[in-house]
Amino acid sequence: MEPILNSNEYTYYLVGHVDDFPERLGRVVRLGKEVIAVFKTTDGQIYALENKSPGPRGGTIAEGMISGEVLFDPICDWKISLTDGQVLDPDTGQVRAYPVQVLGNEVRIGLLTKEGGLFHE
Amino acid sequence: MVEAQEHRHLVLIGNGMAGINTVEQILKLAPGAYRITVFGSEPYPNYNRIQLSYVLEKSKAVEDIILNDREWYLENGIELYTGTTVTHIDTEQKTVKADNGMEVPYDTLIIATGSNPFILPVPGADKEGIVGFRDIADCENMLRAADQYKKAAVIGGGLLGLEAAKGLLKLGMDVTVVHLFEEIMERQLDHTASLMLQAELESQGLKFATGKQTEEFLGDKRVSGIRFSDGTTLDAEFVVMAVGIRPNIALAKESGIAVNKGILVNDYMRTSVPDVYAVGECNEHRGITYGLVAPLFEQGAVLAKHLCGVDTKPYEGSVVSTQLKISGVDVFSAGEFMDAEGLSIVRMHDDWRRIYKKVLLRGGRIVGGVLIGDGKESSRLQQWIRTGTVMTEAIHDAIVGQASVETGNTAAELADEEIVCGCNGVTKKHIVDAINEKGLTTVEEIKVATSASRSCGGCRPVVEQILQYVLGDKYDSAAAKQEAICSCTTLSKDEVVTAIKEKGLITSKEVRYALEWDNPEGCSKCRPALNYYLGMIWPTEHVDEKDSRFVNERMHANIQKDGTFGVVPRMYGGVTTPEDLRLIADIAVKYNVKLVKVTGGQRLDLLGVKKEDLPKIWKDLGMPSGYAYAKALRTVKTCVGSQFCRFGTKDSMGMGILLEKKFERLDMPAKFKLAVNGCPRNCAESSTKDIGIVGNEGAWEIYVGGNGGIKARLAELLCKVRTDEELLEIVSAFMQYYRETGKYLERTSDWIERVGLESVTEAVVHDRDNRRALAERMEVALAQVKEPWSEILNNSNLRERMFDEITVSTNQD
Repeated sequence: MEPILNSNEYTYYLVGHVDDFPERLGRVVRLGKEVIAVFKTTDGQIYALENKSPGPRGGTIAEGMISGEVLFDPICDWKISLTDGQVLDPDTGQVRAYPVQVLGNEVRIGLLTKEGGLFHE
Repeated sequence: MVEAQEHRHLVLIGNGMAGINTVEQILKLAPGAYRITVFGSEPYPNYNRIQLSYVLEKSKAVEDIILNDREWYLENGIELYTGTTVTHIDTEQKTVKADNGMEVPYDTLIIATGSNPFILPVPGADKEGIVGFRDIADCENMLRAADQYKKAAVIGGGLLGLEAAKGLLKLGMDVTVVHLFEEIMERQLDHTASLMLQAELESQGLKFATGKQTEEFLGDKRVSGIRFSDGTTLDAEFVVMAVGIRPNIALAKESGIAVNKGILVNDYMRTSVPDVYAVGECNEHRGITYGLVAPLFEQGAVLAKHLCGVDTKPYEGSVVSTQLKISGVDVFSAGEFMDAEGLSIVRMHDDWRRIYKKVLLRGGRIVGGVLIGDGKESSRLQQWIRTGTVMTEAIHDAIVGQASVETGNTAAELADEEIVCGCNGVTKKHIVDAINEKGLTTVEEIKVATSASRSCGGCRPVVEQILQYVLGDKYDSAAAKQEAICSCTTLSKDEVVTAIKEKGLITSKEVRYALEWDNPEGCSKCRPALNYYLGMIWPTEHVDEKDSRFVNERMHANIQKDGTFGVVPRMYGGVTTPEDLRLIADIAVKYNVKLVKVTGGQRLDLLGVKKEDLPKIWKDLGMPSGYAYAKALRTVKTCVGSQFCRFGTKDSMGMGILLEKKFERLDMPAKFKLAVNGCPRNCAESSTKDIGIVGNEGAWEIYVGGNGGIKARLAELLCKVRTDEELLEIVSAFMQYYRETGKYLERTSDWIERVGLESVTEAVVHDRDNRRALAERMEVALAQVKEPWSEILNNSNLRERMFDEITVSTNQD
């Protein structure tokens, strides 16, 4: 798939359309080597987090429950902010967040250009 | 002479809320002072007319809204004639004549004939399919229409019309509200509030045709549409007229009693004729006719005192307030509501949260207010309007500032005869007396003892303040409250369940909105719980909310710590066949499962299945889901029983399979395990199951509340039964009783400890009517369950979005 070069830092990849993502549920996107959990909120906002629980027991987060812009981790029930991956009080931690672009109906997730490899014509 | 005084004859025409409330007060003030006869045109005893919208929404049955049953009339020596209409009053001879030919003399007469829906005098208004919304018969008409027809129109965008329209919408009809004016509820709301309400109702699915004057009803015998004065038309197979009410004055007028819009009364409810009084919607007091419930009670209180010779202040009119009884919409209006000269206005308008609050002041005193979207302060606001309270910083903050500012307890300022609960006509004095006389300490107890806050619950904060005021230091707010279901709310499970039923809330969004959740989308604690309670209460109406299910129940498989899943197909009663075993083995190989485990529930678990392989495995297996992941019936463990075992006295496998097939898939508060044994040797371990059944010679023993888990508990004997039919009915009733009274995630072992085995035994064994009713409700719930694996297989869209990953290659690859 042809990536669009948006900035010097990030390369954005088309991963699907808005309708491919169910509301208040997660869907796994394998983008190259990255395994990403993509969530759509009630407001239609789309967020992408690394599909890895920040809790001590490990596991994945794509199966969690979404309330507003907060994800409840399905394994440890920690609260994770969808916007930046920050674990919310009373727990601490951080899940990697990926930038998301929605243009029209198309959803793109950005990888650091250095991770995504070189951009080829 | 004294004797005769004690037996004066009081005749009441009209068996509704206004009349009967007056009689109730008379009975309290001066028991035995009157011999009482009541005539009512409707075939029912007195019922709560303002709750008809609940009957229409099917959240209440007719029996639930009866206020005084026939027993009550009997106990109080009241002669009641239902289905009987009084046709004439002879004010000279002091008698009334009824349509059944009866003629009854009176010493005192109360007319409480209420009002009639106003039927627009336009051509075609007499066609079939056009009704008012006034009594139980109208309600039944509407329920029948919803079964037969699709397109409904409600004429009138006032309180009653909107309640009727929402009710019909909930019954599945396509509903348009037709309103003469551009703005709905224009008599209670200003421009902004009206638009906000309309937008909210539109988002719930109601349609509006405003600024439309009805000119003619179309159709042959039955109505088929409406033509408006602007020439446009609207298709409608069913029309509800809710354009207003007219006091029912025909009888009074015909009998020579002075009438205008209503029957004219003075400040003591006296008509132009001696010993004849009129109370409620049928009268006109100082030029005003009322159509809401609170004024009726206030009038009734004055009239009752007057008739019992108790000193009373005259009735000087009421401040009316309006609260819309529509689930998911908070609308409150009281006193003045329109901007006008000489008024100062405090206004807060938040389009994002969809909240609008307006308080109107005259000379610094609160004279009116409108609340949309946040009705938390409505009962206190009403209190401030009634008492003409002067605006203070604290009140200002409470209404338009940040929530939960302490405004102090104003219960002391309320007059004794002030009506606190408008729905049930309960005064402050009633409540204070009940607290003092019966030693009440919680709002729940007050509710039971006085009915205050029983209906809409809007006055609950005031009731609580009164309790606090009366008890002083003894008031313990912690004790008065049960544990909240999660941190999004302060309400307990019982309070939430009651509100869901009473307000007819069907979706968890409505619950969170109507009950003012702090967190608009809930949390991981309340989301699955609400989804369970709603499904339990509304088995046929509630649509399961998949996004509120824990992952296992959503994916219909058990997630493992590495993100793979375990698949457990049904193996009813732990009985299988060589063919099924071979199939399972082949599939385990085909999908390269990591492990095959024989579970504690007598079946097989295929572990280490990838998420995207789940639907494929289900398809290849062609077996139903074993629900090994669910808050539902897991397995029915059985021993070999009489089919093979030398000791077996009962066919435990047969019964186990029957039970598992009957009750599988149904949502329960928590996981649920059964066992059936063929003899008391108990090889299938009944004592650690939610229900353990033990066969004996000629009988089954039913044990309940066992748990072999974290907190082990031995099951206790519930009862012994002789027949399989009885066994099935009691098991069914027990499970349903647990479903209805258990807290979400509460196992039967904890539940029985909490409610007591005795109360369970009473409910599901001894009380046969209740047992049967529980079993019937269980059947309704069971009729709704679906096999989830095949459901997902048959829905490619759902399957794809829930199970398939998206793979995109990058330049890394």
